[in-house]
Amino acid sequence: MRPLSVRRSGRFPLARPTWPTSVPRPPVEGRTGVDFETDWSRRYAVRVARAAVLDGIGRPLLRAVASPAIEGLDRLVGLDGPVVFAANHASHIDTPLLLTSLPERFRHRTVVGAGADFFFDKRWKGALWSFAINAVPIERTRPSPRTIRLAAGLLAEGWSLVIFPEGGRTPDGWAQEHHPGPAYLAIKAGVPVVPVHLAGTRRILGRGARHLRPGRTTVTFGPPMRAEEGEDARAFAARLERAVAVLADEQATDWWTARRRAAQGATPALTGPTASAWRRAWTLPAAGPGRGKPAWPRKSL
Amino acid sequence: MPRPGFVLDVDRSTPPTLFWHGEGFRLEQLPPGSRVVYPPESLPGLPDPDRAIRHALLHPLGDSKPLPELLAPGMKLTICFDDVSLPLPPMRRPDARQRVIEAVLDMAAAAGVDDVQLVAALALHRRMTDAELRHALGDRVFDAFNPHGLLTQHDAEDPENLLFLGETDEGEEVEINRRAAESDLIVYVNINLVAMDGGHKSVATGLSSYRSLRHHHNVQTMRHSKSFMDQHKSELHSANWRMGRLIAANGVKVFQIETTLNNSTFPDSFEFLSKREWEWTAKDRAAYVAVSASLKRTPGRLARSVLHGIKAPYELTSVQAGEVEAVHAQTTENVYRQQLVEVQGQTDILTMGLPYICPYNVNSVMNPILVMCLGLGYFFNLYRGRPLVREGGVVIMSHPTAWEFHPVHHPSYIDFFDEVLADTTDPVEIEKKYEERYATDPWYIHLYRTTNAYHGVHPFYMWYWGAHALQHLGAVIIVGGDPKAVRRMGFKPASTLRDALEMAEDVVGRDPTITHVKNPPLFMADVR
Amino acid sequence: MKALLFERSLPKYAAAALAGRLAPGSGAKVGPLSLKHVDPPVLPGPGWHRVRPRLSGICGSDLATVDGHSSRYFEPIVSFPFTPGHEVVGELEDGSRVALAATLTCAARGVDPACAQCQDGRTNLCERQAFGHVSPGLQTGFCQDTGGGWSTGLVAHQSQLHRVPEGMGDEAAVMVEPTACALHAARLVTGDGDGDGPVAVIGAGTLGLCTIAALHGREVLSSARYPEQRAAATRLGATVVDDLERAVRRRTRSLAAQGQLTGGVQTVFDCVGSAPSVAQALKVVAPGGTVVLVGMAGRTDVDLTPLWHREVALKGAYAYTAQDFADAFAAVADHDLGRLVSALYPLDRYREAIDHAAHAGRRGAVKIAFDLRSERR
Repeated sequence: MRPLSVRRSGRFPLARPTWPTSVPRPPVEGRTGVDFETDWSRRYAVRVARAAVLDGIGRPLLRAVASPAIEGLDRLVGLDGPVVFAANHASHIDTPLLLTSLPERFRHRTVVGAGADFFFDKRWKGALWSFAINAVPIERTRPSPRTIRLAAGLLAEGWSLVIFPEGGRTPDGWAQEHHPGPAYLAIKAGVPVVPVHLAGTRRILGRGARHLRPGRTTVTFGPPMRAEEGEDARAFAARLERAVAVLADEQATDWWTARRRAAQGATPALTGPTASAWRRAWTLPAAGPGRGKPAWPRKSL
Repeated sequence: MPRPGFVLDVDRSTPPTLFWHGEGFRLEQLPPGSRVVYPPESLPGLPDPDRAIRHALLHPLGDSKPLPELLAPGMKLTICFDDVSLPLPPMRRPDARQRVIEAVLDMAAAAGVDDVQLVAALALHRRMTDAELRHALGDRVFDAFNPHGLLTQHDAEDPENLLFLGETDEGEEVEINRRAAESDLIVYVNINLVAMDGGHKSVATGLSSYRSLRHHHNVQTMRHSKSFMDQHKSELHSANWRMGRLIAANGVKVFQIETTLNNSTFPDSFEFLSKREWEWTAKDRAAYVAVSASLKRTPGRLARSVLHGIKAPYELTSVQAGEVEAVHAQTTENVYRQQLVEVQGQTDILTMGLPYICPYNVNSVMNPILVMCLGLGYFFNLYRGRPLVREGGVVIMSHPTAWEFHPVHHPSYIDFFDEVLADTTDPVEIEKKYEERYATDPWYIHLYRTTNAYHGVHPFYMWYWGAHALQHLGAVIIVGGDPKAVRRMGFKPASTLRDALEMAEDVVGRDPTITHVKNPPLFMADVR
Repeated sequence: MKALLFERSLPKYAAAALAGRLAPGSGAKVGPLSLKHVDPPVLPGPGWHRVRPRLSGICGSDLATVDGHSSRYFEPIVSFPFTPGHEVVGELEDGSRVALAATLTCAARGVDPACAQCQDGRTNLCERQAFGHVSPGLQTGFCQDTGGGWSTGLVAHQSQLHRVPEGMGDEAAVMVEPTACALHAARLVTGDGDGDGPVAVIGAGTLGLCTIAALHGREVLSSARYPEQRAAATRLGATVVDDLERAVRRRTRSLAAQGQLTGGVQTVFDCVGSAPSVAQALKVVAPGGTVVLVGMAGRTDVDLTPLWHREVALKGAYAYTAQDFADAFAAVADHDLGRLVSALYPLDRYREAIDHAAHAGRRGAVKIAFDLRSERR
């Protein structure tokens, strides 16, 4: 299989020039990943188009697929400045679900921090996601100064931010440890963080799932939190992680039980036990609202 | 931050190099091991040129008072300016001359100067058309002066209009424009595109006559100007300086204003011309393909008018004003700042792609003599230190070199090509045998004075301009040139660069070193 | 961590195969190879170490993979998705530099008792390439679990690791792996009764030049094509010839009867592996001689009549044993093979890098490698 004769047709100037070996190259000028430019997706016309798509298609679709019950909206009363929404992450439908569950005043003024490596690795993908869900690219684990600047700038302009502090969808159903990035950002921008718990999304479209399985979900908003005087990002992130865990507990039991357990420091951790993979899977709590069955076995035999 | 000039070592990963080829381009794959000298990127322009001009006029260099102090009611003021040969390509409006002259006239009006005349310092060049004057001076100046006959063009063949000032120590006769010489103040407005422009040459050459010019526009001087772009080693420069000092000694007061430009030579749609090939984006490549394909398919005259319609987005990088020599020293620094590129060592073969324009064919035809002058006169001499090509080396130029002359602009060129070059191409012999006859031919003088024709002697000067190169080089090859026209000039035609390089090997030996100068945008090689 | 990932995707595979036919190396643009952020591979067991690649070469077999025309033969002994790159010099967590012997043998797979080949020290012929506690994969760079050199992290078994001596540069160290292949090929035939007459080496890419170096001391006829290759081959001591057949005829005093040589050289190393190169090898090999396939051959259409008629042995030469690899360091140092590394690219420019490697000869290059030293940790 030797090359055919057509290879000459693709030469400079028709094809891209090759770079002389002796000339040092400038660093890669990225146009994908974290370097993807999303300013255009926040222009007025694009926002109007997105709002139409989100409200006209997204909401009815999600209602059909995820039947969300939205709780804790009353905790957001009186809050209308820019906010960081920090949620647990189990499914690709988390983002649209959360976006469409936000109160009107936030819904169309919210950007979503999305993994630069996955959502922005191709230019067309970046364009799609920044249009559809107003995504901005961020690093999963350690945000670069550039990303921090971008996000802080957006918060300062009045945009709220949806972010998943776990840095990615859960691989096994248990939550992953929170990265301190979102907490750091909130401290830096001086905005409150609203912890959010999403239940039931993993059943609908978990990691590696190929088909949507319609089910029921609950979106629980927690009370807004601010970093305390002198609290560093790591401590704030840990507090945030506990707050999401309390919301999960509240969702699984009831508010009063959750509060009591929280006061005793007995809230079950979302990250699950440190044990072998099968035991972690075995002890996984109910997969969604209204289902008491353990997750194992997942399929009837 | 613009990058300085750069010498590329060509390897097998290097994309083809863009060669200008008259009213078109060639993409040539230079052999691995060749060098390509790229011009420095364009420096940022002055943020507020008008303010910079005023500042320069108010804070002159050298032994000169600020311009307003030199102006007084009742005085006789002559403002001279460079002609259509500068800059190349013509710059977008407002032209630097317009900006400067308007500032000067503002001050003259404030001082109550009534007797002001504008003179185009064109020496033996063709007279400018009204449109060209209007472009250079702007509508306001043109409309204010031209209808009243106060905008004139220097006429080097009008005895009434010339004043003989004397002879220098070397016996050079100095004769310049009478109106200028008898003025209380000459303000000379320069555009210094290359290091040769300006200084005493402005007045001593621009406003002089054949009688005066022949003392330095000759083979002897040009062969001793190595190069004429490097004032420390230029006999042309020295001669003009001697004359300039004599003019000053005669009580002629010159207030010199010099401006330098950056390297923004081509408008955005031709951006690829100023970029390094391997940095061409998809847009640049598309532009190249579109431009070169359409130029190829366009009839010659139309293509020419399209290209001559290009106006360069040049920006001013500096303005100097005051006493001639102090101003020129500063100006030269500023020209070098934009144009100097350090090159290590000479080369056996120098290649160059010649564009559609040279100083003497603005809105005109680039005839074979001008091809020679641009390549061997200008590009060859854009060096400091040593020539880029070694003695006995070869210059390969790429240009169609059509046997074509502009009948109005270049009448004496036609005869020079037919009669003189058919006889000999040796500059010394040409000078001895033919120069005087052409210089004093009444028909050429008539055409020069009354139409837009270059002076009868001008083609000789073009040939002298290349005299240093002709003496230095072992051979000259023109790629893609009309074989008849090329042979007439004593050069060798080649159809491809590869052929040309093989022919050159016969002269310089096997495995020669090759250097390509990627002019324009212009640069000057500082050869170590 | 950053890694170039080769995924199993039939449409992309088909697209790559098509693009690769149109222009070599262009499979990288459309094919199943893409730059991803992935989790670092986990250590499969005891004796495994994390290696952070410093330089990682692009090999001919990698190009075949990227362009989608490597043989389906490999299917059972590779595991998707994998990160290519098996010519690796990297550093361990303690900062020491190692070169990676890419073969995944019984020792690395934790197979005990080891297979017969491994027990005999012929680890390159290991019979357990699809077994043990790492996924199938003939080498690091074709195995899902180990990661590969075209990334910022891989895991390697201690049996694979060879410490790079002080004073040997990364460029030289990345040449150890291909040199080990060449050394192995050269050893396959020396002492095999081929005497010490001239040998021929077809092709002067990385493997060809390394083979010439490995044959140091023998008279080598090399058919290099591009000027830079010819210069390199000459420098390594080969006699570069324009027309191999005529040169062999002259040198061995053979006769040419209607274009067919009566004699030939005892051994021919085919470092290209294409149909024309195998055919040429069969033309210039002496009766009873040996043709060694050093380059990965793939599906090839060849007239085997001369093979039968002249009792020619056609021999493969795959990878290297641990001993070959250890000896390759000295060969690299002796012949200064590090200079064969012509250009380095960051991972972000992987398409250009692969394009450069695919046109290495034409562009005057030999070995193209990824430079991972400046990648973010």
